[in-house]
Amino acid sequence: MRRLPVYLLLDCSGSMYGEPIEAVKNGVQVLVSTLRQDPYALETAYLSIITFDSNAQQVAPLTELSAFQQPNIQANGCTSLGAALTLLAQRVDQEVTKTTPNQKGDWKPLVFIMTDGEPTDDLNKGLVEFKKRKFGMVVACAAGVGANTDTLKKITECVVSLDTADSATIKSFFKWVSASVSAGSMKVEDTGTDVGSLNELPPPPPEVNIVV
Amino acid sequence: MSLFSSLLDKVGITNTTLAQVDDFEKWLLTDMWNKYSDERMSRRIVVENQIRDLKIRLTNGTVNKEYIQEISIPSDLVKEMWMEGFEELGLSVESSDEGKFIIKGKPCKAGDFDVKLCFKTKEWIEGESTSSISIPVAFNPDPRSLWKGIPTDRDTPFFKEDSDKCYVKVEAREHGDPRKDIVVASQRGRSHAQEGRPRDDHFSVCHCDESDWYILSVADGAGSAKYSRKGSQIACETVVSFCKDQLKSNEEFEAKIKAYQEADDKNAAQKVVGDLIYKILGTAAHKAYKAINDFAADKATKTDFAGIKTKDFATTLMLAICKKFEFGWFVASFWVGDGAMCIYNVDKNTFKLLGEPDEGEFSGQTRFLTMPEIFTDATSFYKRLRFSIEDDFTALFLMTDGVSDPMFETDVNLKSIDKWHQFYNTLRAGFPNDQIGGVVLEDDNEETKDQLLNWLDFWSPGNHDDRTIAILY
Repeated sequence: MRRLPVYLLLDCSGSMYGEPIEAVKNGVQVLVSTLRQDPYALETAYLSIITFDSNAQQVAPLTELSAFQQPNIQANGCTSLGAALTLLAQRVDQEVTKTTPNQKGDWKPLVFIMTDGEPTDDLNKGLVEFKKRKFGMVVACAAGVGANTDTLKKITECVVSLDTADSATIKSFFKWVSASVSAGSMKVEDTGTDVGSLNELPPPPPEVNIVV
Repeated sequence: MSLFSSLLDKVGITNTTLAQVDDFEKWLLTDMWNKYSDERMSRRIVVENQIRDLKIRLTNGTVNKEYIQEISIPSDLVKEMWMEGFEELGLSVESSDEGKFIIKGKPCKAGDFDVKLCFKTKEWIEGESTSSISIPVAFNPDPRSLWKGIPTDRDTPFFKEDSDKCYVKVEAREHGDPRKDIVVASQRGRSHAQEGRPRDDHFSVCHCDESDWYILSVADGAGSAKYSRKGSQIACETVVSFCKDQLKSNEEFEAKIKAYQEADDKNAAQKVVGDLIYKILGTAAHKAYKAINDFAADKATKTDFAGIKTKDFATTLMLAICKKFEFGWFVASFWVGDGAMCIYNVDKNTFKLLGEPDEGEFSGQTRFLTMPEIFTDATSFYKRLRFSIEDDFTALFLMTDGVSDPMFETDVNLKSIDKWHQFYNTLRAGFPNDQIGGVVLEDDNEETKDQLLNWLDFWSPGNHDDRTIAILY
């Protein structure tokens, strides 16, 4: 079966401590339990979480939604977004099945990145690896005023921003991610083609602004 | 003298009033009791945290699916343990003395829940409260329960029934051998049913009683085209009616087929038959294309359908005609789009695909009958026409990708005899785990069509497209 891999790259640096990280944890929980109610996503979508602070770490390997367990997420340290992109590239090589004449591979992965600050490591190093891989749709979210949308534009054209990193706003971002994964799972099944552009996702809620 | 007065007296505290001693007694005992309780409490918390640090996780389950999970807690930490909260989830818990629990049963509710691991610490004394920690557990809904079957609104333009089936019984002639029958079933995909969208697949089959020709067609309306359900219908009906007309009594064609069979120069004879195939099947396909074009053009003049184009009726098409001659079966076909069309012979261990599926992944985009280039590129058009002569066969299959994708997965597998055997076995055996019966391909048995329609309801994750299959057997 062709899976739709979904990678969440979540900033768990010290600045996320407190309300924001609690909102992220809650967001992941709600995302998973919502998607489990969606017959397309439950069958098709596979989820992985990579967190980044002073290092990048895959806290949840690519797992089918029905077996997914909430990982332990804590906030501290710096913002190694570059390392997170490098790790993402490595994990995609390992976990995503490629199409061969004998086997239909997975759909191109969807990636959602959320960060509240500037990268503290070498972003370009990660970018080089990241750009070598094929992704269906990459959305980068600048949470609050500390994040730089210009930096995120280097990663993907699809950048959204949240005015604040409070719990209500983060919650609505995750709701949108969840709706996007639903829409993506349905799209691949229905049309047999990858998800490739922002207009194939549901319109974001008012709290989530598309950065043009 | 009270106990406390004498104790005080012993350490030289005298001249105390009864009230003072009473007050002291109360003060002392309350203070000590609180200290004692606090200490008991903190020792308990230490153990509770130790248990929490074990990070006991329960794997996720699925509603109505057998769940079994074993957990063990080191028994040196506690002296008595039990679990609470499983019963209302439909699960039972067996425990053993060594701190082992076996949780099993079929979860009855979907969602995220917290169950409790309760215990008495080693130091627990009668009267003290017991400890408990919560453990999260998640049960997925039965994926099948999430699919809705919303009937298509009958007022939808170009409405068609959500499923269809047909059996063409061709009985033996007097003193003759049994003759092959046709069975077809078409089932709307779950992804369509989920939203009350109509079925886009279509089929049309017939047997010319006059000339003993069998005509089968199956079409898959493109998911991306708005009115493809009508396109597939026009395509099937047009080609079958045209072929029927052509084959009612076509002595020339049949004579050329015989000539081909007997010819020494196969190449020349092949061209003659090929030209006739082109005249019959090629023209049928072109007529279908024209019919869709005309239908679209006519509809476009109506306000309700303003701006409608031929591509809004995009559809694939598989068409086969067959007849039994003294020397064997003549089979000719036309195929545009994906899916599978194949002559299968279980005894001879052979199969023959009647063309190449136009697949997206490796050979460019999927093609549709409604694309003008299908007819303008003569070379590729000829490739879509095939004919062959077979001694006999177990079955001739025509199926849309809703069936071939889950059954074969890739084009490479479509070319594997093992996969065709596997498919044939699955067709006959059904899906016992899902309580879906097999199809008994028995001569003159009308019930086969119900079995086939029921069989089409098979479960295959990620494959919920419309499914149509026609079998000549």
